[in-house]
Amino acid sequence: MALACAAALGGCARVDVHAPNVRGIAYVRMDEVMKHHPLHAQLAQLQDSIAAINLEATLPHEPLSAAQIAAQTKDLKAQFKTAEDRAGKAIAALQQTYAQKEHDADVAAAKAAGVDPAAIGIGAAMSAQSQAQAESAAQAAAQGYVTYQQSVVAQDAEAMKAISAQLSKQADQKLRARVEQYQQDESDLSLRLAQQDAPERIALKTKLNNLALDPAARKSVQSQISAIDKKESAQVSALHAQHEKALDAYRAQVAKETNAEIAKQTAAIRDESAAKINARRVAVGAQLRSLGGPPVPTQSIPPQLAKSLGQIHQQLIAQYQTDAQKIASDFSATQDDLNRQFEALHGADVGATGAAAKELKDLQQRHDALQQQMIAQIQSEAKRIASEMGFSVVLDSVDAAPGGYDLTNDLIHDVESLHE
Amino acid sequence: MKKRLISFLVATVAAVSLVVPSAIAADLTDVGFLDQAQLASLPVFQRAQGQLAQYQSQLRSQYDGQYRAAKTDADKQRVAMAYQQAMSDKQRELIGPLYARAQMAIANVADSKHLSIVVDKRIVVYGGQDITKDVISLVTSSKAITPPATAAPSSEIGFVDQTALETAQKVKDAADQLAKYQADQQKVYGEKLKGVKGDVEKQQIIADYNKAMQDKRNQLLTPLIDQTKSATQTIAKSKNLLLVIDRADVVYGGTDITQDVQNALGK
Repeated sequence: MALACAAALGGCARVDVHAPNVRGIAYVRMDEVMKHHPLHAQLAQLQDSIAAINLEATLPHEPLSAAQIAAQTKDLKAQFKTAEDRAGKAIAALQQTYAQKEHDADVAAAKAAGVDPAAIGIGAAMSAQSQAQAESAAQAAAQGYVTYQQSVVAQDAEAMKAISAQLSKQADQKLRARVEQYQQDESDLSLRLAQQDAPERIALKTKLNNLALDPAARKSVQSQISAIDKKESAQVSALHAQHEKALDAYRAQVAKETNAEIAKQTAAIRDESAAKINARRVAVGAQLRSLGGPPVPTQSIPPQLAKSLGQIHQQLIAQYQTDAQKIASDFSATQDDLNRQFEALHGADVGATGAAAKELKDLQQRHDALQQQMIAQIQSEAKRIASEMGFSVVLDSVDAAPGGYDLTNDLIHDVESLHE
Repeated sequence: MKKRLISFLVATVAAVSLVVPSAIAADLTDVGFLDQAQLASLPVFQRAQGQLAQYQSQLRSQYDGQYRAAKTDADKQRVAMAYQQAMSDKQRELIGPLYARAQMAIANVADSKHLSIVVDKRIVVYGGQDITKDVISLVTSSKAITPPATAAPSSEIGFVDQTALETAQKVKDAADQLAKYQADQQKVYGEKLKGVKGDVEKQQIIADYNKAMQDKRNQLLTPLIDQTKSATQTIAKSKNLLLVIDRADVVYGGTDITQDVQNALGK
């Protein structure tokens, strides 16, 4: 370390910081210094892990069957409902806690001021506070209801579209398979008949090759060959006609089955969504109906106490908003991930989702924290060196430098010495 | 008398030669910096950002449906453009006046401190004059802010608008080729990753992918980057600039050499 410093300072001593082409200004190529930091290997490893998840997210997925899409859609909706309920309960509990906290603080403030809390409606104040919070929550719930309804309908439309497309694709595959089977059967029959009639056909063609054959006999042989061809062709045509008829029936049957399956699955989705929307409507309605008028205080509040109560209220509201914001952010993150999973399920390329997205987020946080730590350490060393050398300004991210002094190598020497 | 005159002239020349270089070589003290993140965290900006985020959320749900319903790529592009336009309009409406006031405050503070350039705090490693407090105080005051009487003095620190340089056709072509190559390689290496369970094998695949991408980047972009750097260096030298930074890091003042660099690259 000491040697490195001496080497670095040895280098510094040769720099004329105040020379006309330097003028007290230096710059650092931070990317280059980062590569020499003792923790760079760890940072690179984290970057590789992040790249691996992102790369895996680009993999083409195995196509899902309609039943799998429906099952996974149902599962995602259930997860969404659970997350939503959890957030709702957490907010309700938080409101309760803060209402109690405010009530207790108000009672203590009133008693400290020598005033009977009940007489100035502190209990009522709590009710009023709860009332305001409940009103606000119900208002938000009512607004959220419309958004929820729209999102459920939109998701259903997507799910139904995907299921319908998948079932139609399966029906096409079934029909194609049947057509191919029939074509194969017809080819087989044609081949079999040709093989069966081969000796007779060869015998007749050999007779035709006999130049001494009289015209009447030649005509007879030709008509026999023609008759064999007609017989084979008639049998193949009969089979083809039979297949056409069977295919029409099969097509109608598959279409009927597919439509019935589409109708069944879309009805299930609709019923489920209608139940969910209805449940939400009932919950919002109950929330709105539970609101009542606040009790009226019987004695006016002394000004000083009113001021204290106002301060308590403001302080607790600020704390409540911070806590509530955290719950809302967590819910929003879960909602975003579930939406992305839903889009991925319906064929959109949305990158990593679910457990992979969580791991990616965790890796990204660790990467950013480590990078920040390294940058802070390098900047701290850069400040020390710049101060010792007498520079007035040191900048990072320079595009070109006809002047100034490049502090990068001095800094690299210094940062590398952090190993020692 | 003549000898005295010569002595006087010699003494004067000597004095000038002592004074002039040090005057030319005076250290730069007219560089200021601003913590833009701190400025953006002011309640007035936060409120506007909150309103914008709320608007974006409403707009997104509205356009998401239209985007899904769009049947062709052209329809999708039209919906996306309409969304971007609506967002830009709202941003201009909500943030525009605040941004203009902040710009005016920065210009006033820089003028009063005789600064030739103000950069973002992120790129300042050491030194410079921090004007963040003065700017915040002026922005949050109730008084009207008028533009300073004089423009920023000339600065020995120049800047280049990298985004303008990136619009050059050959840069766009190279970027497109790289994006296509990346998409192809992602498929190739993604397939290789499929079913691989061992960490060592996985890491090797990732390392190979990174190397393939780095090699392609070097092949496509490095010549263009070198060309741009060289042109920037030459122009900066001809204009007696000490350093050149990206326009994105400049808050106020500085010497803009973007057009000169574009001209040099276009030759």
